[in-house]
Amino acid sequence: MRWLLEFYKKNMDITGRELVRNAIQLQEVERIPWVPFVGVHAGALMGISATEYLRSAQHIIDGVSKAVEAYAPDGIPVSFDLQVEAEVLGCKLNWAENNPPAVVSHPLLEGVEIEDLKIPDRNSGRIPVMLSAASTLRETFPDIALYGLITGPFTLALHLMGTDVFMRMLEDPDHIHQLMEFCCEVSIFMADAYAETGCDVIALVDPMTSQIDPFSFETFVTPYVRRVFDAIRNSKALSSFFVCGNAKQNIEVMCKCGPDNISIDENIPLDYVRDIALQHKISFGGNIKLTTVLLMGSEEDSMRDALECMDTGGKKGFVLAPGCDLAMATPPGNLKAVTQLVQDELLQGELRASTASVSEVQKLDLSDHWRSDKVVVDVITLDSSSCAPCQYMVDAVLRACKPFGEAVICKEYRIKEEEGVQMMATLNVMNIPTIVIDGNVEFISQIPPIHEISERIRYYLENKSG
Amino acid sequence: MENLLSEIAHCIEFGKINLASNYPPDLKGKDGADELTLMALEAGFGPGEILESGLMKGMEKVGIKFRENKIFVPQVLMSAKAMSAAMLHLKPFFLSGEAKRKGTFIIGTVQGDLHDIGKNLVSMMVEGNGYEVIDLGTDVTAEQFIRASGQYPGSIVGLSALLTTTMANMESIVKELKEQVPGSRICIGGAPVTKDFCDRIQADFYSPDPQGLVEYLNEMAS
Repeated sequence: MRWLLEFYKKNMDITGRELVRNAIQLQEVERIPWVPFVGVHAGALMGISATEYLRSAQHIIDGVSKAVEAYAPDGIPVSFDLQVEAEVLGCKLNWAENNPPAVVSHPLLEGVEIEDLKIPDRNSGRIPVMLSAASTLRETFPDIALYGLITGPFTLALHLMGTDVFMRMLEDPDHIHQLMEFCCEVSIFMADAYAETGCDVIALVDPMTSQIDPFSFETFVTPYVRRVFDAIRNSKALSSFFVCGNAKQNIEVMCKCGPDNISIDENIPLDYVRDIALQHKISFGGNIKLTTVLLMGSEEDSMRDALECMDTGGKKGFVLAPGCDLAMATPPGNLKAVTQLVQDELLQGELRASTASVSEVQKLDLSDHWRSDKVVVDVITLDSSSCAPCQYMVDAVLRACKPFGEAVICKEYRIKEEEGVQMMATLNVMNIPTIVIDGNVEFISQIPPIHEISERIRYYLENKSG
Repeated sequence: MENLLSEIAHCIEFGKINLASNYPPDLKGKDGADELTLMALEAGFGPGEILESGLMKGMEKVGIKFRENKIFVPQVLMSAKAMSAAMLHLKPFFLSGEAKRKGTFIIGTVQGDLHDIGKNLVSMMVEGNGYEVIDLGTDVTAEQFIRASGQYPGSIVGLSALLTTTMANMESIVKELKEQVPGSRICIGGAPVTKDFCDRIQADFYSPDPQGLVEYLNEMAS
């Protein structure tokens, strides 16, 4: 029994910081670590504006401390502000009450040349605010993993040159390489500075990469971010690659850049990211829904969504986190509910069981649903308004049905609603989204070309009249 | 000579702006949307015909490829640039009333929000599909939308937002606009926006991509 005691002792003692570090390094963990991405949200906890919050090291220290107290996180970012570097480099910012500031001017479009830009020093702009907050938080919370967030080089390039970057990539690639070279140096500088304060994880946040294709990514992003990740490794910190937005097409090339971890938002299915990341021996994190669940949903919604993430993510190589920067007005109760769930395995089990009971739903009597003279097309979705594949499938079906007019009855069933769940069970549908025609499962998950749907409808229609 | 119009469509689809542009590599040294549109006008094609069988044909393909994740923002922006080069030659005819457009679309990023990539993509896809676009820019208030709606009767309004917090402003703009301009039609879009949200704030239409909006406008115009 002694081994059991020792095992317990070891696991009782494990800190959140170790949990995060272990998960990021793909070691099996007893409990999934939870890292709420608290940025300006901490300003709301303190009752001050985003502007006041992000301009003061003391506010950031107090705000993060409040968040630690409220959410008992295993890891937390020092701050979430992708405008710090841009501001130092001459971009004008528009400050807001409820949001991080926005970049409103692009120096490279206003006569400044790339050669004129200088790597910032540690006293420039708000860099000392962030670094001193990081140092103090490191001392105050030795048991929590601290994340230092740096602006990714591609997003920084967009700040400096505006959307012209996109066109010049195609028209004048050398120019963009020159710009990326500079932005890469800035990222390495910031990564080193955060690593020195003792941050465990340096997160390179590069949301604008979601707007480009994998080939452009490999050409204009990979060579540079790879150097940043190498530098982070040399500084003995761990690295994470954050991307907000739908970057599904780039997950593979992101993994090939050599980060320790990638973190994504709800635009990308977590299982998709998990499979690719683990294949590349990289850990992953995400993707509790920021707006529809954490901001607008209930505590129960938040727990259910978090549980789904946890069950998909598993205990090896997964960090539970929101998709991106938490909205300022996120109700604290929703985040506390997630904390409670993470720490209480029993609660996880109960919640899982209550979800499972959905599969024993009462089946529907569909005898009135079918028609002798019309084709009935049922589309089973999560909800076409929040799930992009569902939306495109419903769209494709509607367009395919339209030419048939009255001869086809088409309806979407959302499994967010009880009727949808019942319909799914009754029609023996196993995947979302699925197209069922006259009770036969015809198309699963993949969105078929419209003419293929039309062909199937025509086939059923002809069999009726014949 | 029909070829000229399909060549214009090809230039729009692949983002060939003019003779001097190096992009796309396989059209290097060839005429772009700029030159070909001038040639088409000289050859006697009507501006409406050039718009419909040239620009719109190309733009529709861009919209579909973007929706299907076959191309991304950089490629769409090149197509936009090619289209603007062509429109420069056609605009005088539309302004003088010599050629007609399908309708008017007023667009802006809502108050508090300064993001414009999405809004600009939508503007140019809508313009490229034969509509006059009134772009009110970013950080646009309800009053500005109301004023523009009054100026362009029968127009459809589009609201864009990229931030969860500015989505809330969409709600108040929709409400005020519907009160002040009864019967106005409002479409909303942007990364955090969903169909659910659209229904909740009683806007008329939501699409996750520009092509969906173009199809909606076409439906309304027909």
